[in-house]
Amino acid sequence: MALYSFWIFDRHCNCIFDREWTLKTNPSSGTTNSKLNEDTAKLLYGMVFSLRSISQKLGSKGSFNEIRTIATGKYRAHILCTASGLWFILLSDLGQEDLSQVLRYLYSEIYVKTVVYNWLSPVDFADSPNERRGQGFRKIRNRQFLLAVEKFLGPMVN
Amino acid sequence: MDASQRPEMTEHQKQQLQFQLFQDSLPKVNEIVYRMLLNEAIPMAVNVQDRLSEESGGHEDNETEQGLEQDLDAKLTFDPLKDHVPSHKLLQKYLTADEEYQNKVDERLNNIGFLLGQKLSQLLIFSNNPSLNFRDMDLLAVMKFVCRDVWRQLFGKQIDNLKTNHRGTFYLLDNNYKPVESFALDEDMSQEEQTLIEPYLEIPCGVIRGVLDSLGFQEKGQVICTASITSDRESQKTGSSASSRAVLFNVQINPDR
Repeated sequence: MALYSFWIFDRHCNCIFDREWTLKTNPSSGTTNSKLNEDTAKLLYGMVFSLRSISQKLGSKGSFNEIRTIATGKYRAHILCTASGLWFILLSDLGQEDLSQVLRYLYSEIYVKTVVYNWLSPVDFADSPNERRGQGFRKIRNRQFLLAVEKFLGPMVN
Repeated sequence: MDASQRPEMTEHQKQQLQFQLFQDSLPKVNEIVYRMLLNEAIPMAVNVQDRLSEESGGHEDNETEQGLEQDLDAKLTFDPLKDHVPSHKLLQKYLTADEEYQNKVDERLNNIGFLLGQKLSQLLIFSNNPSLNFRDMDLLAVMKFVCRDVWRQLFGKQIDNLKTNHRGTFYLLDNNYKPVESFALDEDMSQEEQTLIEPYLEIPCGVIRGVLDSLGFQEKGQVICTASITSDRESQKTGSSASSRAVLFNVQINPDR
């Protein structure tokens, strides 16, 4: 099992969290909320957005056809879209068929408990109207969230 | 249930059924919503204080016809999001405000807690044991009531440690204070975070005051309750940055004069 990276996008098309692991052997390696990943984040967002709209158009009318995974020759992206417009995306190697349980845990047990229940942290990360069109730069920086993500995903990295 | 089935039930099953019926009849409320409501009291107090200071800031009333029309307009149109400020911004405001402002907010919260405590003790005494005679109970028993029943009702757990010098001073230690359990600001625990958590301790302080008030400690200034955050000893041992915060409540009760 190998995880490559983990991303969260909010409903304003902003990337609010990214975590990339570089060394398989060392779960603490890599970058968190890095400026260098901004372009990658946009590309990833675009890819998921387009495939998501295709999958919704191809589904029969009225039915719910949400995208779950995208596999390429090298990696697989696992996607969880919540009703409030948050996207949780995990990139892993091709061995992983389905990480939806993992994503669900990340959302319900980690994001909700450390960001939503946390009165000191904003729930909507776009502060002003001009940050609402993908121009936002705010990230989740709170200690408990970072710790919980490391603790939960760390053992799955290699 | 059919009458034909009834004789087949054993005594134990009957009791279980009765207990189930009793449980179902109890009033219930979603725990998450209740906790959020309790936490939202702090931004609300800041907001109220803000609006009050705005109003006393003196805006002139223009008595012209146009002014009246605008006034009427403002009163007739209802826009819930007009002056909406998110909760975390209100808390930031509290952080940057001066001490007098902070004290006013704290006092407001303390009073909310006081009223809550007064009513809570009535309810708890009635529902748990109406024949409990607090007149004959000593101070320690009353404080035990606070630690056990009141705390369990409010936060779903008991106080972890109760210390006293038998002269009216009590230390109540809560190792994992629930409302601020998931509060964190940045990578490191900072002074700012500490300041922001402090108003969250005012409501339980008020609750303790209110409960004691309804149990006969009614004189003004008879009960003094303060709270402070202490670093958790257990987490210091393990060296992990604490996810649970220990809170120490210091209750000082002066004897009857």
